[in-house]
Amino acid sequence: MKKLLAVMLLMCVCAAALVSCGGSGFDSSKNVTIIAREDGSGTKSAFMELIGLRGKADPANAVIQNGTAAVLAEVKGNPAAIAYESLGYVTDDVKALKIDGIEATVANIQSGAYKIARPLAIVYPGSVLDDEVNAAFFAFLQSSDAQKIIGDGYVSILNDAPAYTIDGSLSGTIDISGSTSVQPLMIDLAEAFRALQPNITVNVSGGGSGTGYNNARDGVSAFGMISEVFVLDKAPNCTYFNVAMDGIAMIVHKDNPLDSITMEQLASIYDEESTTTPIWSDYIK
Amino acid sequence: MMNKAYRFIKARDLVMRGVFIFCAVFSIVALGCICAFLFANGLPFIGRVGLGNFFGSEWHLDSEAYGILSMIAASLYVTALSTVIGITIGLFTAVSLFKFCPENAVAPIRQMINLLAGIPSVIYGLFGLIIIVPFLRDYISPNGFGYGILAASLVLSVMVLPTIVSVSFDALNAVPKSYYEGALALGATSEQSVFKVMLPAAKSGILAAVVLAIGRAIGETMAVIMVLGNSPVMPKGLFQSVRTMTSNIALGATELSGDAATALVSTGVVLFAFTLLLNISFSLLKEQGGGKREKKRP
Repeated sequence: MKKLLAVMLLMCVCAAALVSCGGSGFDSSKNVTIIAREDGSGTKSAFMELIGLRGKADPANAVIQNGTAAVLAEVKGNPAAIAYESLGYVTDDVKALKIDGIEATVANIQSGAYKIARPLAIVYPGSVLDDEVNAAFFAFLQSSDAQKIIGDGYVSILNDAPAYTIDGSLSGTIDISGSTSVQPLMIDLAEAFRALQPNITVNVSGGGSGTGYNNARDGVSAFGMISEVFVLDKAPNCTYFNVAMDGIAMIVHKDNPLDSITMEQLASIYDEESTTTPIWSDYIK
Repeated sequence: MMNKAYRFIKARDLVMRGVFIFCAVFSIVALGCICAFLFANGLPFIGRVGLGNFFGSEWHLDSEAYGILSMIAASLYVTALSTVIGITIGLFTAVSLFKFCPENAVAPIRQMINLLAGIPSVIYGLFGLIIIVPFLRDYISPNGFGYGILAASLVLSVMVLPTIVSVSFDALNAVPKSYYEGALALGATSEQSVFKVMLPAAKSGILAAVVLAIGRAIGETMAVIMVLGNSPVMPKGLFQSVRTMTSNIALGATELSGDAATALVSTGVVLFAFTLLLNISFSLLKEQGGGKREKKRP
């Protein structure tokens, strides 16, 4: 029995030694570990579109993580990793890179200088706002109450927004449909709106940005949601309002000395057709 | 009075019989439903996109390429490697427990090995992700990439250990003691008797252990997703991001819709065919083994 205890103790020591050896520093001769997200992820489709790789597959050697938390955990633990992540989820444990020398800050996203960002917008025919209920929701989207919710994970565009004024006489239903990237934010906003205006029901459904344009144009929904810059041709009778911006940060390990990366470099890292595996020393001069 | 009590007993009998039949049939119904769901959804899809597309090597949803060949290959590689590692360690463990371990250590060691079977697979995955992958990345891998077939096989080989050890240990125990004693009487050493006589005699039981281990390894999902990297490309090396059939299904199940989701069901059909094949060969082995031993017994 004593021997057995000794063996177990030895095993524990070995395991502990293994764990403590785990954190080795950054080595620029190592391959870049490219982290991507699974097909169907909103962050992935936005990122691939913004760096000009819309509809392309991941590079063959990419590690595909399913979920924001898994991506963060990998980058935190792997000095050779690079990943994209919605700006709202980036923590201090990892390092966000500058893109073309521009830092991923709210101000830079608002001004449009930071490139990997996209608007989350609603489209609607102007006549929709004649309806008092719709107008109330539209006013809510521009209020400080809404900006507080947007700030939790997204970038608010409106500074110094006024508080929403409740009109208790209103009741009715608002239908909103479209981009599944805007949908989670819109559902949060609709919930907050319902807390202020209990007699107004807001139905939020998905379908994609295309559905958002079509439903707004044809009057199927009061508002359509789109996660791209408004294209007038897709809904000629409509106008748009940018509810928020969605910024995507490129994150690397804290020990990685790289500070900035260019759009071209990103496109070559994440291109399925780039055949050679990138090495960190290619980017660190 | 008598009649009434009798009738009550009879009615109770009938009701309980119904309950038991329902319980017996329930699992069959469940199996039937799952099969019907798999084949009714999966097979027409394979027919629609064509065998060439479905068993091709390119999986790219945007261009409607649903080839799962790379995933079948990855599943087979991971399963084969993990079974080889698991069998090597597991078989020697069973042999050592059978004859060479101190008597009073056998029970605790068996207990601990069985305890391994109770650890949820997601914990194995976490262990692989936090310990094995970084270790391989920093010390073993030639290209600084820890994910891949080796990491998954190492994790899986530990997961299949309990199955291999307990099934082959039982198989060794089922061999009549007289074989061992007879070998000793003929002048063989203890080691020779165990490896040359007992192991061959327990062959069918050990094969059953192998088949069960393969079944466990090929169906494992969670632990594999976390350490494999999950790129749908042809496996070419031990340290390369690849995707198995199980991880393909699990990755897309909550995100995809339409044709892409149906492609996952079709992947399930192929996986099901593999496990069915394994189960059939397992029961064949069991039958064969039992028959042989019955005849040989004096």
